[in-house]
Amino acid sequence: MSPAITIEDLSFTYPKQNHPALRNLSGSMDQGQWIVLMGREGAGKSTLCFALNGLIPHFFRGRYQGRVRIGGRDPARTKVSEMARRVGLVFQDFEAQLFSTSVELEMVFGLENIGLPRGEMEARIQNYLKWVGLEKMRQREPAGLSGGEKQRLAIGAVLAMEPDFLVMDEPTTDLDPAGRQAVYEIINHWRNLGKTLILVEQDPDVVLEADRLWVLHEGELKAGGIPETLLREGSFSEQGLQRPALMQLFHLLGRPERPLTVDEAQVLLGRESPLSAEKNNQTLEGQINTGKVLVLADRVEYRYPQGGTKALNQVNLEIREGEFIALLGPNGSGKSTLARLINGLLKPTAGRVLVKGRSTTTFSPPEMAKEVGYVFQNPDHQLFARTVEEEVGFGPRVLGLEAKTIQQRVKESLEAVDLDGFEKREPFALTKGERQRLAVASMLAVRPWLLILDEPTTGLDYGHQRGLLEMLNRLNQQGHTILIVTHHLWVAAEYCRRCVVLKEGRVWLEGATRTVFQQEPLLKEASLVLPPIVQLSNRLDFQGLTATALAREIRS
Amino acid sequence: MNIFLYSDGETLIHRLDPRTKLASLMFLFTLALLFNHPLYSAGVGLLVGLGFSVAKAWIRWWRFRWLLGLLFIFSGIIWPLTLKGFPVWWSAGPFQISREALGYGLAMGIRLVTFVSTGILFLSVTRNEEITQGLIRIKVPYPVAFALSTALRLVPTFVGAGATIIQAQRSRGLDLEKGNIFRRVGQFIPQAVPLLIYALRYTNFLAMALECRGFDPGFPRTWYRELKLGPKDYGVLAGGLFLIGLAVFVRLGLSLGAVIPQRL
Repeated sequence: MSPAITIEDLSFTYPKQNHPALRNLSGSMDQGQWIVLMGREGAGKSTLCFALNGLIPHFFRGRYQGRVRIGGRDPARTKVSEMARRVGLVFQDFEAQLFSTSVELEMVFGLENIGLPRGEMEARIQNYLKWVGLEKMRQREPAGLSGGEKQRLAIGAVLAMEPDFLVMDEPTTDLDPAGRQAVYEIINHWRNLGKTLILVEQDPDVVLEADRLWVLHEGELKAGGIPETLLREGSFSEQGLQRPALMQLFHLLGRPERPLTVDEAQVLLGRESPLSAEKNNQTLEGQINTGKVLVLADRVEYRYPQGGTKALNQVNLEIREGEFIALLGPNGSGKSTLARLINGLLKPTAGRVLVKGRSTTTFSPPEMAKEVGYVFQNPDHQLFARTVEEEVGFGPRVLGLEAKTIQQRVKESLEAVDLDGFEKREPFALTKGERQRLAVASMLAVRPWLLILDEPTTGLDYGHQRGLLEMLNRLNQQGHTILIVTHHLWVAAEYCRRCVVLKEGRVWLEGATRTVFQQEPLLKEASLVLPPIVQLSNRLDFQGLTATALAREIRS
Repeated sequence: MNIFLYSDGETLIHRLDPRTKLASLMFLFTLALLFNHPLYSAGVGLLVGLGFSVAKAWIRWWRFRWLLGLLFIFSGIIWPLTLKGFPVWWSAGPFQISREALGYGLAMGIRLVTFVSTGILFLSVTRNEEITQGLIRIKVPYPVAFALSTALRLVPTFVGAGATIIQAQRSRGLDLEKGNIFRRVGQFIPQAVPLLIYALRYTNFLAMALECRGFDPGFPRTWYRELKLGPKDYGVLAGGLFLIGLAVFVRLGLSLGAVIPQRL
């Protein structure tokens, strides 16, 4: 049987770029296979996806060499709208790919474009809405759906066109664990139909389910094969990719086995002796910070204007000096709303938020900026200057500081985020990871004592995520208080000493990270799934939340 | 919060064919243009108000109260000061206020508010897809109809992005409410750059997403919702035409409904 997709010596260079995004890439995929593409930022994953449905070279024009055949067609010689009938593409950004005014009309847009009769459209809507679990939301407006529902709708709208090939470019990075799970269930369902799936994914634990793994690096195919084999090989982390944490644990323990699941790891480790109950409690209590209270939220409620829903309900929270806190919760649980109430961007509709004992409603923006810095999820909303230097100097200038002080602050802030030497560069010409760090630097220059970061790791590759988190850790050690809004539990496990879990606008769980992470069933109710290392640690009754900490405990 | 104007409903106006809604939009614009007497203009305004009541869409109108209030006040001030009329009640140098000019200013204020309100009502009861389909059925080429309805759809999206950008800038210490009007306008410049970049990226992405769903203006397409003019549509169209005829007769035949007849 001939392969369903063949790629021969494919190279592509974007306009005005010197380095090719894809370099002499060759490979093939069989009908019905599930292939996962992994690689760091700039590895060429999205470029390859775009080359499969013809967006490259039709939409992104550039230097295109080589040949692609997919389902007997050459995307370079076929219109994108025609390729769309055979190759469905789902993007990471679920907000931007929905444009209709109801779920039903979103589903039919593609079907109308390919000229299906009305009866056939109706049958497909019914079938595929059931697939993606949105059959009861047919008349709802897409803008009012949760993040997970939006992404499922985007997938459903593509599936309804019944393409032979489904290409998904990081479809789960903005979703909470429950939303991700729902997407993986759709993927498995699709796979059972014998159709081909190409998925770009960062999470190594997902890869294990796939038939093939392709590791891309700087536009080249560095490795390709059965995921389990590739993951067990040492070369994986050499590409700057996240290695499954359980394998990392066994590597640190100096053991030859490379377990892939928590069950497997538990069996291999057997019954290691746990800490005594007394020691357990000491460790947990010792992690709680007893510094000065800097932020106090007292029975805070927030309702969005014009009859919106209540986003927060009777929330109480304290933030103390020197803390590194994770604000966790599923999509739509009120995390960003609470963060915006803390820095006064939103005013509570009931209750009060005090910053250093003063109500946030009495602060002017410059006064608040000196106290609380807020880094938005999308760094591009915050950047506007012509140079990096001007960008970072904006905050201190607004505060009316002297030129010399501004210069000093710019220098220090850029050094803190490893962007020194970038002073004269254009902010929008930087990579996503660099722009994210620049947004942090622009906040640091104002010297707030509390830094709030809203989903700072979204859209960054593993290497950049680590770099950013290590930088925040350093800032915390230097005395900054940090609050990080995230739905990635491994971030909380590895960096945060305290966690606050929100669910449906209320504080669901709160306490030292270790204590909160022992409440596995309650976390599950809040659509949160613990990282494998923490699950293993819980099962073995240990304290470690990271591979390193757990290995140390097991060895001792 | 819903940033879009359209709200789903089962009212008589919601259920009209989009072609009827487009025609009614034109009827109301024409009626508003025919009169420049405040009482007659207020009558047209009341008709639009009746539309809001039937469509249960006052909550949408209420969002724009500040904009509409400003339009009314500016028109009410500028016209009486700049237009010559009789009898003159007050004058100072080049400025004078007359009964005619004051009446005309009031009528223009009501006309502007009526225009914008009619647009709000239309967008509150008509889906974006219906606008596209309605325009195509009245022989507007598909690419033009699609571009027009998509542009309308993008406005609230960009307003939402603009609001996020303002929040992001405020959190860096930018105080938009400080200083005189010129300083405040100057402080809005930092918002323009990211908004422009956002708009460019978003529209580029949207174009890509549309093509990936098989969008091709040159390819014959089908429609899930079929348009059909019903008895209620014919009733509204006939009523609209009757009102236009009556208004033309009142304005031109009876020479009523104008403070300054030689002006529009």
